[in-house]
Amino acid sequence: MAVPTVPAVAGGHLNARRRGRAAGPAAQRTRKKGSAGYLFVSAYFVLLMAFGVAPTAYALYLAITSAGGHFVGLSNFISTGKDFRFVPAFEHIGEYLFIWLASLVVIVLGLALLLHSIARRVSSVFRFLFYIPGALAGAASVLVWLFMLDPSVSPWRFLLSGLGFSDLSQTIEPAHLPVIFAIIAFWTGAGGWIVVTYGALNNIPHELLEAARLDGAGAWQTALRVKLPLIKKWVVYMLILAFATGTQLFVEPQLVSEASLGQISPSWSPNELAYVLAFQNDNFNKAAAISVDLLVLGLLCAVVLVFRTKLFEVE
Amino acid sequence: MNSPISGTSQRAGTSRRLRTAVLAVAVVAPVCGSFAVAGVASAAPSSAPLVVWVDSTRVPMIKAYEKAFPNVKIDLVVYNGNANGSGVLQSKIALYNRVGSGWPDVVFSEENNDAASLANAQFHYPAALNKGLVPSSVLDGYAKGTMAGCTINGTVYCLRNDLAQNLFWYNSALMKQFGYSVPTTWQQWQALGEQVAAHHPGYLVGSAGDTWTDDLYLWPSRCPANDVVGPNTIEINLSSPNCTRAAALVDPLIKDGSVTLESVFSSTFDKTYTDKILALVGPSWYGADLFPGLVPKGDLAAADPLSWAGQKPATGEVGGGLWFMSSHAKDPAAAAAMLTWLSTSWGSQGISVGYPAYVADQTKWIAGQQASGFYSDQIGPVFATAATEIWPDWSPVPWSTDSIWASTVSPALTSGSTMVSQLAAYGQQLTDFAQSDGYTVVTKS
Repeated sequence: MAVPTVPAVAGGHLNARRRGRAAGPAAQRTRKKGSAGYLFVSAYFVLLMAFGVAPTAYALYLAITSAGGHFVGLSNFISTGKDFRFVPAFEHIGEYLFIWLASLVVIVLGLALLLHSIARRVSSVFRFLFYIPGALAGAASVLVWLFMLDPSVSPWRFLLSGLGFSDLSQTIEPAHLPVIFAIIAFWTGAGGWIVVTYGALNNIPHELLEAARLDGAGAWQTALRVKLPLIKKWVVYMLILAFATGTQLFVEPQLVSEASLGQISPSWSPNELAYVLAFQNDNFNKAAAISVDLLVLGLLCAVVLVFRTKLFEVE
Repeated sequence: MNSPISGTSQRAGTSRRLRTAVLAVAVVAPVCGSFAVAGVASAAPSSAPLVVWVDSTRVPMIKAYEKAFPNVKIDLVVYNGNANGSGVLQSKIALYNRVGSGWPDVVFSEENNDAASLANAQFHYPAALNKGLVPSSVLDGYAKGTMAGCTINGTVYCLRNDLAQNLFWYNSALMKQFGYSVPTTWQQWQALGEQVAAHHPGYLVGSAGDTWTDDLYLWPSRCPANDVVGPNTIEINLSSPNCTRAAALVDPLIKDGSVTLESVFSSTFDKTYTDKILALVGPSWYGADLFPGLVPKGDLAAADPLSWAGQKPATGEVGGGLWFMSSHAKDPAAAAAMLTWLSTSWGSQGISVGYPAYVADQTKWIAGQQASGFYSDQIGPVFATAATEIWPDWSPVPWSTDSIWASTVSPALTSGSTMVSQLAAYGQQLTDFAQSDGYTVVTKS
């Protein structure tokens, strides 16, 4: 059975463009459509330059200069790398990412495939339910979780006390933090990805699934051998974004640290360490070096995944 | 494959790769660069009024100043007082330093280490008060030794608002009812804890769940955790017997439950321990801030700080506020006058919740406390004695020893470890912080 590897929407659009090139007047219409695309993108482009690219360039400049503005090469990177908080912060984030990304891929895909195979009305109710926590802003969702994790006020206190926790400081012991942050991130972020993945699944041509069924594929086989390969690029896209945001964890450990009267180190994650260096030690250059480390890490992950999976190849 | 098409295809491939890289940056960059621009976000306030930052507890003092000096315009900002080493003040000052304007003229801080932190070359925020801003007659009026934390290499960078000397607090009615006598040494206190655990389980003789636990037990034991012994040289030696003896004293009491690991300000502390506090080692402000509601009116008493048998008495401190004025103040005389009034006048200190550092206000302040009817005995002599017994070698440093304790030792105690076994980790963290701040660490002075 031949399985196309391009998401149906992109493929459809390309076909339209190819057809447009062949037919004269239709081609003009398509070009007009193209310029409308630039118009739509322009607003985002301005924001991206102002709040994405310009600050990144500024961070790069800060990272290779001293407080007095002199060029110092890589010395900010070397001194932050030697900082006693650097390695633990990246270890924490590594543990957290491992748990979060694994659970994100497995559970989001599992739930999206499940929702795709049940009646549309039921699935739309579930998609809405899954999405609700994502509507809470980051800080608010952490506060909700602080209540959930505090055995003295939590609606799940029987569960927490069953696990042997009698107060918040026991629940948020350092060893539990990667798991707790992964749960919070999953709770707030997974709903959105389930909706996106469901959308991707909906783009699979009906005929293809019909053909698979006629060829004798069951629900499992269809999910694993037809649907999954077709939405592979969406999964990669999810991984790139989740990795980049995951390495930059900040609000969760910061708020939990405040709530626990400092039981969690204020430099638990690399982004927090950058914040401490910038604002407690007044060293913006070292802080910028760490943010550049994170940028490079995110880019490396993105580039590897993009090239390995040919994410942006359309033909 | 050698046709001209392959060249086109290569170029297309290159441009695709370029596009791929640009797109990858576009995807990752917006989340990565967000904090770097924070520095340009803050705006400079108007220079005309005095910009004053205080915690909510100190607001009435500012209101009193406005009433006493209606012609002085004040722009009041309430913030968290930099409590528990939160570093909010440092964050803001760092930003203002970057922009070159916006500094508050007068600031109150609850963090005792802030003089050391804010006066260093990086922040360079507070004005040098003994260089013509505050007369020496005023500076001489503070209780002996209380300005040590404000004085760095002979320069006075802040005025002390109140003292937070540790005392031995106890419920005199319960003590009498149970037939215990008030301990005077740490060894007697440990024996009391063991008796309470055996005969009156559920009652407390101490707490070890707050960020300032190191100030309660290690500081009075003269533990060299942050003893600045020379310019940029610090003694940190947590394996000293002075440290281990204190930790070894508390550990068995944590185990038997007579010393709690709950924070005294946690949401559950009052539920669990109302009328169950036999004694607590704690700062002078516990009297007005913590005990009302936990101990019946008329039952609370304060005794001299516990001492180590055979040694001169010594005690620690938990906070005690500091008043700073900006070295960038547009009207230094006005800011200095305000700072002096807030820290010394009875109009301000009469409504202070802490024991005034300025000697002339102390007797009247104690009389006010005594009049509340909350105490069973006279607290004045105990407060005055303890104020002179604060061990001076627990030096103010640019990092918060309390927040390091909170993130290193507290979680380990919660998960069942002992204080003795955590001293090494605590010492290592203190050493790391000192070294990253450019100090040379020695283990023996």
